[in-house]
Parts: sequence; C-alpha cells; structure tokens
Amino acid sequence: MRVIDFLTLALTAVTLSAQSDLLIEGLQQFEKGEYLAAEITLQKAGNDPRAHTFLALTRAALGHCPQAVADLEKQFNAPLNNDLSLLAGLGLARCRAAVSADAALPVLAQLRARFPDDADVLYESARVYMRAWNDVVYTMFQKAPSSFRVNQMSAEVFETQSNFKQAIAEYQNAIAKNPKAINLHFRLGRAVLMESHEPQALDQALQEFQAELALNPSDAAAEYQIAQVLVAQQKQAEARPHYEKAVALNPDFAEALIAVARIDLNAHHYPEAIARLERAVSLRPDSESAHYALMLAYRNAGRAADAKREQVELEKITKPPEGEFTNFLKKLDEKRQP
Amino acid sequence: MKSGLVWLITASLTAAQPVADFRNIAAQVGLTQAFPNGGTSIKKYIIETTGSGIAFLDYDNDGYLDLFVVSGEGGSSRLYHNNGKGKFDDVTAGSGITVKGWGQGVCVGDFDNDGFTDILVTYWGQNALYRNIAGRRFEDVTARAHLTQPVARYNTGCAMLDYNRDGHLDLFIANYLQFDFATTPKPGANPFCYYRGTAVSCGPRGLPFASSLLYRNNGDGTFTDVSDSSGVSAPKQSYCLGVITGDFNRDGWPDIFVACDQTPSLLFINRKDGTFREEALLRGVALDQDGKALSGMGAAAADYDGDGWLDLFRTNFSDERETLYRNRGGGEFDDATAAAGLARNTRYVGWGCGFFDFDNDGWSDLMLVNGHVFPEVDRLKIDIHNAQRGIVYRNTGHGTFDDVSESAGFGILERHVSRGAAFGDFDNDGAIEIAINNQNEPPAFLKNFQRAPGNWVLLKLEGTRSNRSAIGAQVRLTAGDRTQIDEVRSGGSYLSQNDLRLHFGLAGATAIDSVEILWPSGKKQVERGLAVNRVIAIREKP
Repeated sequence: MRVIDFLTLALTAVTLSAQSDLLIEGLQQFEKGEYLAAEITLQKAGNDPRAHTFLALTRAALGHCPQAVADLEKQFNAPLNNDLSLLAGLGLARCRAAVSADAALPVLAQLRARFPDDADVLYESARVYMRAWNDVVYTMFQKAPSSFRVNQMSAEVFETQSNFKQAIAEYQNAIAKNPKAINLHFRLGRAVLMESHEPQALDQALQEFQAELALNPSDAAAEYQIAQVLVAQQKQAEARPHYEKAVALNPDFAEALIAVARIDLNAHHYPEAIARLERAVSLRPDSESAHYALMLAYRNAGRAADAKREQVELEKITKPPEGEFTNFLKKLDEKRQP
Repeated sequence: MKSGLVWLITASLTAAQPVADFRNIAAQVGLTQAFPNGGTSIKKYIIETTGSGIAFLDYDNDGYLDLFVVSGEGGSSRLYHNNGKGKFDDVTAGSGITVKGWGQGVCVGDFDNDGFTDILVTYWGQNALYRNIAGRRFEDVTARAHLTQPVARYNTGCAMLDYNRDGHLDLFIANYLQFDFATTPKPGANPFCYYRGTAVSCGPRGLPFASSLLYRNNGDGTFTDVSDSSGVSAPKQSYCLGVITGDFNRDGWPDIFVACDQTPSLLFINRKDGTFREEALLRGVALDQDGKALSGMGAAAADYDGDGWLDLFRTNFSDERETLYRNRGGGEFDDATAAAGLARNTRYVGWGCGFFDFDNDGWSDLMLVNGHVFPEVDRLKIDIHNAQRGIVYRNTGHGTFDDVSESAGFGILERHVSRGAAFGDFDNDGAIEIAINNQNEPPAFLKNFQRAPGNWVLLKLEGTRSNRSAIGAQVRLTAGDRTQIDEVRSGGSYLSQNDLRLHFGLAGATAIDSVEILWPSGKKQVERGLAVNRVIAIREKP
C-alpha cells in the first residue's frame, strides 16, 4: 500500500469522540492488513466520510467490490482531500479491473490526469493495460488464428525480446498471407538490420523498405530508412533525394531534417543547414542529435556565440537524471575519491 | 559439370587481389608465452575486460625494436630483446621488471634525459615507473619519483609528454573508474550487469567515475601531481581508457585526446600556461555525429587526408561505428566516419588501432584489433563473437578508405580477444609490423610478406634542448609532390606504445626534398636532400 500516514489523515479535524476512537482503531487495523477486523470496526465508526472511504477501501481489499464501489466513486470525485481521493481512485480502479480491464481504463485515465507522477497510479495503469493487451491478444489468437495479424503480433513480440531471427520469420509469414498489408515490409527491414551485421543485410533491408514504399508511396519513414541504408553503403549522393522526399512527405520529420542538414554541412551550405536544424530543434527540443548538429553548424559557420548557446542546451539535456541511484553513486564517489 | 566450370572461371576472375599478406609469426619470433587477463568463458568483474597494452621500444639503443608485453593478474609483464636476426629473446628475468597485478597500459620515453628509454606501466592498484639503467636493466623508481598513489586507482592509458615544454617529460594517466572487488556488484546484480539479457560483469555504467592524472616532471627524478591545478582532473563524468597526444590546433603545444567508454571522450587543449581546458564537445570529438557518447576504447592520430592537420580515430563497441574525426583546421573536427567509408563494421568491439602506411604509398592506412568484453556473448548464438578478427582499411588517397581486411592476409583474419596493438618496424626493412596483446593467449605478431611497392624512410629524432626522446616533435616531410606530417608521441593505440621513430611511405619518390622539424623547444630545423629506404637519425641542433 502507498506511503500515506493514515492516522494523520484520520486525525485531521477530528473532534474527539468515541466514534473517532473507532475510526483510528479501524485505520490501524487497515494499515496492518487486518481487513476483516477493520471492516467490523469501521462499520461502527459512524457517519464520518473518512470512515466510509476506508470502509470501502477495506471492502475493496477484501474483494467485496459490489459493496465498495459507490463509496469509492463518491470519495474519488470529492475534491476535498487529494490523498483520500487518490486512495479511493486506486481502489475503484482495482474493483473495476476485477470485472474487466476495459472497465478500469476510464478511472485510470482520470487518475493519470490528476496524479501524473504518482508511482502507484503508473503501476496500476501499466498492470491494467498489460492485462487489457493480454486479453485482446488472447482473443485474436482464439478468434482469428490464421490471420496475418497473428503473425505480425508474434513478430512484434519477438522484436521486443530481441529475438530478431524469429521476428523475421513471423514477418515473412505475415507478408506471405497478406502481401499488400502496409508496415510489414518496413518492420521486416528493420528486424533484418537488427539481426545481422553482414553487409548483405543492408541489401536485404533496402529491398524491404523499397517494397514498403511500393505499397505506400507516401511513407516518409520508409524513405528515411532507404536513405540510411544508402549512407551505410557509402552512397551519400543517392541518399540525399530520399531524405528530401521524407521531409517533403512529412515536414515535421526531425530526423530527416537533421540528415539533410548534415549533407548541407558537408557541402559547406551553412545557412541551409542551420535553417533545417533550427526547425528540427523546434520540433524536437529534447533531441541530442538536433542540438549537437546545430551546435556544430553554428561553429562551422563561424557563429561562436550561437554555438556556445547550443552547447549549453545540449549539456542540459544530456545531463544524467538526478535520480535516487545517481545520488547514491555520487555519495559513493565522494566517499571513495582520493 | 559445364555450369561448375563457368562458376570456377567467374570466381577466379572476380576474386579480390591480395593487397597485403600479413601473417602471424609470433611463434617464429619467440612470442610463445600466454598473458593471463581474467576469465576466458565468464568474467565476473570489469577489471578482467580492459587489459592489456603492448609496447615497441629500443631499450638498449642497438637500433632494433624490443617488445614489452603487459600482463593481467596471474602472470608477469615481459620484456623481449630483439636480437636483430628476426627473433625476440625473453629477458624479463633479471631485467628489473618485477611488478605484478592487473597491468593495464604502457607508454615509454626518456623521462630523465639520460639517453635510454624508460617505461611506465599502469595498473589497477599502483603504477610502475621503470628507469632504464644504461640499456642493461630497469629499476622501479615509482616511490622515489613520488608516483605512489594513496589508494588503489584504475589507471589505464598513459602518455609521456612535455606539456610545459621545459625539456622534461611529464606523465598523463587516464583513469577508468573506481573499482574494488569487495563492493563491485556481481553479474546480474543490477540493470548495468546485463548484455542482451545475459548476466555479465557490471559496468562501467553504474560504477563511480574517476578522473585523469597529470604529473609534472621536476627535472630531478621526481614528479609533482598537478592533476587539479592543471585542470585535467576537472572532468568527472567520463570512463577514460585510450590516450593519444598531438598538437591538434597547431599552436606548438601538445594537446591530449582521451577515448572514453559510454561517456563523452575528452580533448584537453593546452593553454600554454601549465593548464588545460577540456573542449571535446564544441570541438566535435566528444560524441558521434548523432550526439551520442560511444564506447571509446583506443585512439590514433594522423593526417589521413593530407591537408596538414592531425585527424583522430577512435575504436568503439559492437553495434557502434568506429569514429573518424576529420580536423577541419584549428583543432575543430567533423565526424567523417561514414563519408570516409568506415561505417560498415559494427559487429566488432575495437581496441588497439593505428594509422600506418602498409603499402608505402604515402597515405596513412588504418588497422584496428578487436575482441569482445563479454565471453558470455558466444552463448547467445548471434553474429557477434568473443574472439574477433582484425580490420584493415587502405587509404585511397581521396579522403576515403577501402576495407581490405579479407585480402590482407590470414594474420588479419585470425580470431583473438585482442586489446593493445603496437606498430613498428622491428627489422628495419620499411614495412611496419604489428604486435598485439591477446587476452589469455600469446601475443600475435603480424608481418607483411607482400613487399610494399613504395619507398620509405624511418626518422629517429633525438632532442637536445628538447626532451631526449623528441616526444612532441612535429615533422613535415616533402618528397616528390607530397608533403606529409606526423609527430613523435608516447602512448596511443589502446594503452600501448608504437615505435618512437616516424615511418613515412614515399611511393615513387627517390629522394626526400626536405624534412622540417618543429622541436618541442620551439626550435625549427630543416634537413634537405635525404636518401630513401633507410633509417635516418636527426639530432636537434643547438
């Protein structure tokens, strides 16, 4: 359970009475996980809204959701106490998820909107989304086992497991079943590049990206990947029109803008490169690649002050996160550094 | 039958012509001793992954390159004397080379200006400075030179350089990270202890950083730690390995490039006042072209495109490209890796590397040696392996390289877990040999049996006002229609030491028009009308 001082919650503005003693006792039992005892105690705690909320949370913990949902909904939507509201929302989400993952999703969406950084909310969301994903995939395998989508889904799962050999085989199966489905050749091309470091893999991937483009001539990502392969094959001149086409198809394609700008830089076409890179930075302010390329473009153009400014921006976004682990390492460093 | 014949004819017509014939003749030259470096199938700690370097040096001034091989824990670093007849004799016993432990890097230079080349060996633990006693033996002078470190440090690449140009060689030593066996997590202990889902030795990510060291030579056999006051200890967010020095901005003062692992590489620019400023990011050598910090291991420098500026090369990890940084002038660099044709080899973990002109055509070719850090990779059944072959790139003379690894001889294609590589001409025939320190095996010793067509010269410089080893001397050689540059440098490659003599391929030139030398003292000297195909000694004029 989350780290909330339940007693503080209970004692806030509590007038001393026999009923408040029961509320405190019930909360202590709840905190210890003695839910059966807590249910009995909190039932006797009168009409205090906190007693109702914790009674509902206790019932949710016991799996008695039908009796808990109404009070949880009420407290979740009450704006008075954020902590109680959060607890009620989490309880409500769990109760809804017990029925179906879909039923819990609206509550989780609200929770994430109201408490976007809360670890419990994020964890509960991930858990329910994963369950929803599992449910849907299971249904797909049950209802449409021979569909190319089953192969596609399998391939994508293998990709996430870095099992690119199996992913390639599944993409190929999917393509055999549905040669006109878009995005299969693209994903296959990428899996080929991940699977092998052989130069021949570049040729094979190139064929897949070209096949994707044949199916979907407006696919900017396929144009971009073709250019990337050509650059790796030392065919920079052939790559440029593909990068440019990618930008033409998707003017907000930051990676393609950066790639064209790099070619401009190599040709000493600094104003053109800088214009593209400034746009890339505005599109992707968190992109190391964009800031780095822009910094060098300014430098090469003799705009030292602008280059320095970009350097500062780059250093800001590449600075390691100040997380718990980093702090731990720093302390270790201070201790050991002679 | 008929179709088979056609295939045979076609295959023979299209087979690549061999460009070189590098063969591993280690056993023939007497290098049969294996050098331990951690586990062979499992490595529990990162300390098992980074050793070790190898050095060419002529310690007895007989004109032939000797060899020093650094050992990891469980063995001894060894000194081999070149007998001038194509063989090395193991002369370790009685040589005074005594320190054992987790040896990492090696660099050489005459720190006391007595005319004999001294050796610095870096360790996890305490470094060892061996003073050369008249070419007969070595003396461990670490403590006397005030180089004892108060705690065990993970010292890696090193270089001797005269950063303040006072005529005495100072010491730069990179540090990898803070390590000890007691507190370093075991394989699989945290997310930094996995490779492709397999538990492996932890780090460098997740382990505490360490900083670089600079020791100023006091000129009396002792050194002073000036790491803080010089500014080299300021960067504290990089895991540093290979070191290469050079006057990258051509202001007459030596700068220092440090290849760093999974973190930005460093470029210390000499401010001419005893201090350095780290400027790698803005100068374009900290990251790759995508703004990502790669896993830098070794480093080499040369003017590969003949524009008169020293360029930089860095070896990296598998699934990364090697990095070639082209000096666009003034010590500002662009990532020229893809443009130069080096972006294809991404399955290798690169370590020792060097620019060398194997065909003597006047253009610096490039070689790197490879080997994984995780022996466990072989269990994954992927196309990345623990033991890996070398890579040779031939310089086309037009700003690009051709990968000729598969037509450069069987020695290149042998698979080892290689680390340090040293380049030098051990038989003074104008063709460069490569000595390679392989983990848990005898070193490899590659000799090119295909005679290089071009002429050549080896320049052996000796300082008088400058440090005696002439480290930092800049040479500008003109022969025929080509002018080439190079510098005498200590350290380099991966934790290794190349021949202190400078080798130049001269193609068809039959005489050297001029050799201009900018000595570290600041004195300029020009030698004219020199002959080719020989070793030429040049002494700094008073």
